[in-house]
Amino acid sequence: MNEPNVVHLFQREDHLAPVNVPMQTAYEIEQFLYAEAELLDAWKFRDWLALMAPDVHYWAPVRENRLAREMEREMYPPGTAAHFDENLHMLGERVNRLYTNMAWSEAPPSRTRHLVSNVRAHTTGQADEFDVQSSFHVYRTSSERHQDSVIGKRFDRLRRANAPYGFQIVNRTVVFDMATLLVKNLSLFY
Amino acid sequence: MDVSHLIDPDRGLIRGEIFHSQAIYEQELEQIFARSWIFLAHDKMLPQPGDFIQNYIGEDPVLVVRQPDGSVRAFLNQCRHRGMRICRADRGNARNFMCSFHGWNYGLDGDVINIPHGEAIYDAVERAEFRATPVRLANYKGFIFGTWDAAAPAFEDYLGDFAWYFDAYIDRYEGGLEVVGMHKWVLPANWKFNAEQPASDMYHGEVSHASAFQVMVPPPKDAHSPPPDWAMRQLGQLSNPSGFQFASPYGHGNGWFAGGMPTMNETIYRWQEATAAQVAARLGPERVLSAGHANIFPNFMMLSNYTFRVTHPRGPNEMEIWAWSMAPVAAPAEVKEAIRLDLLRTFSPAGMFEQDDAVNWEEEQRILRGHMARKAPLIYKQMLGRARYDADGLPGRTVPHVYAEEGARGMYRHYMDMMSGAPWPDLTRRKQQREDAERRALAAQGQPPAKPDAAAA
Repeated sequence: MNEPNVVHLFQREDHLAPVNVPMQTAYEIEQFLYAEAELLDAWKFRDWLALMAPDVHYWAPVRENRLAREMEREMYPPGTAAHFDENLHMLGERVNRLYTNMAWSEAPPSRTRHLVSNVRAHTTGQADEFDVQSSFHVYRTSSERHQDSVIGKRFDRLRRANAPYGFQIVNRTVVFDMATLLVKNLSLFY
Repeated sequence: MDVSHLIDPDRGLIRGEIFHSQAIYEQELEQIFARSWIFLAHDKMLPQPGDFIQNYIGEDPVLVVRQPDGSVRAFLNQCRHRGMRICRADRGNARNFMCSFHGWNYGLDGDVINIPHGEAIYDAVERAEFRATPVRLANYKGFIFGTWDAAAPAFEDYLGDFAWYFDAYIDRYEGGLEVVGMHKWVLPANWKFNAEQPASDMYHGEVSHASAFQVMVPPPKDAHSPPPDWAMRQLGQLSNPSGFQFASPYGHGNGWFAGGMPTMNETIYRWQEATAAQVAARLGPERVLSAGHANIFPNFMMLSNYTFRVTHPRGPNEMEIWAWSMAPVAAPAEVKEAIRLDLLRTFSPAGMFEQDDAVNWEEEQRILRGHMARKAPLIYKQMLGRARYDADGLPGRTVPHVYAEEGARGMYRHYMDMMSGAPWPDLTRRKQQREDAERRALAAQGQPPAKPDAAAA
């Protein structure tokens, strides 16, 4: 057996541990994620951007098909292939693009539904920060008859903040379930 | 099926049927993909013995494998027994490849090395008959191409004059390129759209990518200042375009702005400026800026920002894009990182340029379902009749404008040659005769025709 040199994102012990935040905290975190989904589906991207901490890192690594014995290598590591690898300024450029009225991939704008589920939260070394996992299904329909689905999982670090929905996103790792993306683009946010 | 009534490169007219027809698609797999040189891997993707990647020639999966002696071999990823794929991973490291149907086991070179109970059930195991079907390979400066066709020209002859232009993408700096990562995704459009565009169409950028250019311009220092001078110079190329386009008799195309490909990344821009003299010393002054976008026929495209990609055909209505990000080995770490981030933010499926290209091709494909949409030929007449040979220090056939369709006309002229089914030696002879006649005619005129449509009139 090869010794894994990259721990598979889905097999980290801290991700698999039982949820350890109080019920009230879990509820607040869930409501935050639902509010975020609402903003994205409403094309309120500047309000969505306000949910990001100033030091946010928004990252979506590429994955690929590996032999079972090389499964721990299926994710491209940090600093290599990614769909998103953004700080706040970079996310801002993407948001601004959608409002130019010339972002042809979203003209006419698509209609999306961000469904968020399987929310699990854990405490961290910081009293006001939480590690939160969630699954998402983003259904998109556009133009006359286009529809597609993107499904995956998110690993978030949330920080309590004096902000509209009570938290800010410090770190988000988005893992799409597809290796070859069977959609024409990733024109929105996940 | 005869496609010659659908394509008229001399008049710059092409009927949309070639993007739509299932029969033409099947013929392309046989006459184009099985007879052309197809990009399979880069040396840096296979550093160790046993390293393999799976790629495709058309719809045929191919395993490309680093051998224990350091060479590279490739073979059809199909068990000779019942035709299943031998290896189902995208890449990895292996000592051998076992088909998981009946356990036929293939060595790294594609030879069958074990057949369960073989001695009891086969009279003889003929090596040549039982081995996985081998691919003929060529390695050009680390880029590994393969073809099934033993009669295809040697790869360097197939590249021809394009080799000079190719080097401006891959051999600008000592040490060549390294591989950063890759993206794979599908688009509901014909593969030729993503071959034709980098071969020929810089014209779309100003409008198709208006939103990306707009938001990526670096902000001014304060509210009263204009954006930085360098960024405005880059955008100025779009409003006042000049440059060249190259067309190869083998269907390759290259196009570039006289001032270089506009980039909105200051780190990359400054590094390009700082190393321009070094590149000029290595390649000559003509090639410092001659990397814009290009396609090696049929389906290997590249941009000067170091995306290198194959557009795999998946039926007339779908393509699968495999795009590798690369970076010059010689670049400083912060430049490599800038190239990586710039690429994934511009030319990946989430990229701010790529996604707008995708909807253009999707719309073209969708509309070509219509009878009338396919009836009237599409217009490919930009810079028609303006081709010259070996002009302005540029080898081969070029036209003196970056917005031209000479690359597309050259691509579809070669496409017609291939689709005719004529054997390679006949095609090579036909191409040489065509070029000789053109060169003689141009020499007799003394100058290229003055008006764009003069040759068609």
